[in-house]
Amino acid sequence: MSPRVILITGANGGLGQAIARAFLQESPANLVWLGVRTRRDRTDKLAGENADRCFCLGLDVTRPESWKQAVAEILARHGRLDVLVNNAGSHEDALLATMSPDSWQRVLAANLDGVFHGCQAVLPTMIGQRHGRIITVASLSALLAPPGQANYAAAKAGVIALTQSLAKEVARIGITVNALCPGFVETDALAGLTAEERKAAEMRIPMRRFGRPEEIAAPVCFLACPDASYITGSVLKVDGGIL
Amino acid sequence: MDSNATLKQDIKQMMVENLMLQITAREIGDDQALFGPGSLGLDSVDALQLVVALDKKYGLKIPTPECAREVLQSVATMAEAVANHLASAPVEGQSSPHTA
Repeated sequence: MSPRVILITGANGGLGQAIARAFLQESPANLVWLGVRTRRDRTDKLAGENADRCFCLGLDVTRPESWKQAVAEILARHGRLDVLVNNAGSHEDALLATMSPDSWQRVLAANLDGVFHGCQAVLPTMIGQRHGRIITVASLSALLAPPGQANYAAAKAGVIALTQSLAKEVARIGITVNALCPGFVETDALAGLTAEERKAAEMRIPMRRFGRPEEIAAPVCFLACPDASYITGSVLKVDGGIL
Repeated sequence: MDSNATLKQDIKQMMVENLMLQITAREIGDDQALFGPGSLGLDSVDALQLVVALDKKYGLKIPTPECAREVLQSVATMAEAVANHLASAPVEGQSSPHTA
């Protein structure tokens, strides 16, 4: 497999770490950039363990200027960018009746605006290369629309629509755009569940267990690999059979 | 072939290759409209590719949709914008942004 330059956002989180490790393991030639906003303890460690092929960069996905700088830094070093994984996101769950407008805006900005800015930042390079892979981590919430997640579910549903629309726009240029909808995954985001809540959640999953981050990372890597060249505009749910 | 004719030929070839047109470069007229009725039949995605290709090949920046409408009328208008840009390009070692 030829070397590829890969940028992963939200790389300090459990899912971002697993995705980064999967790309690093896939090929020793892969060059992996880890986008992080504030916390970078895990990314620094991963970059330290994989010197010369794994790099950290500051990236606030909600700011177009930050994207511009990040892409410029990658291009200055490698002259190309093959894969963007939009993984950064956050949620602030509340019933809509009590949800503050600020909370609505923050979640939309982090989960939907961030993907828009990211795609816009990498497209000129990918169009020039006539090759690129954009993979966005959406959520099963986009399809289930659970109570208490109006902001998050709306943002992730928007991500799916963006993915499918953009996929049609750039298909003939050799760029594929796909989304993943993970269900319950063993990450920091679920660490706050009580034992009872966890058991109730597991009972909703036909496989009766949460997914491992590596089980989300593997299909991300697949969508970025040459074998997935005819897949675009797809929404792949990785949820243990919930839907 | 003079330099302007060569430039137009290069642009036509670039269009055929980048836009995967089902015609040859020779079949594209210098003044043939790129968009609209009776034109070459390009669309907005083709326009996007042309903007990126002109920047990549000639360093010509097309910063606004208005500018794109002006430059991307025909092969002749693209060649004119590229020629003007190349004529005003800074000498090596100096750098300043150039736009159409």
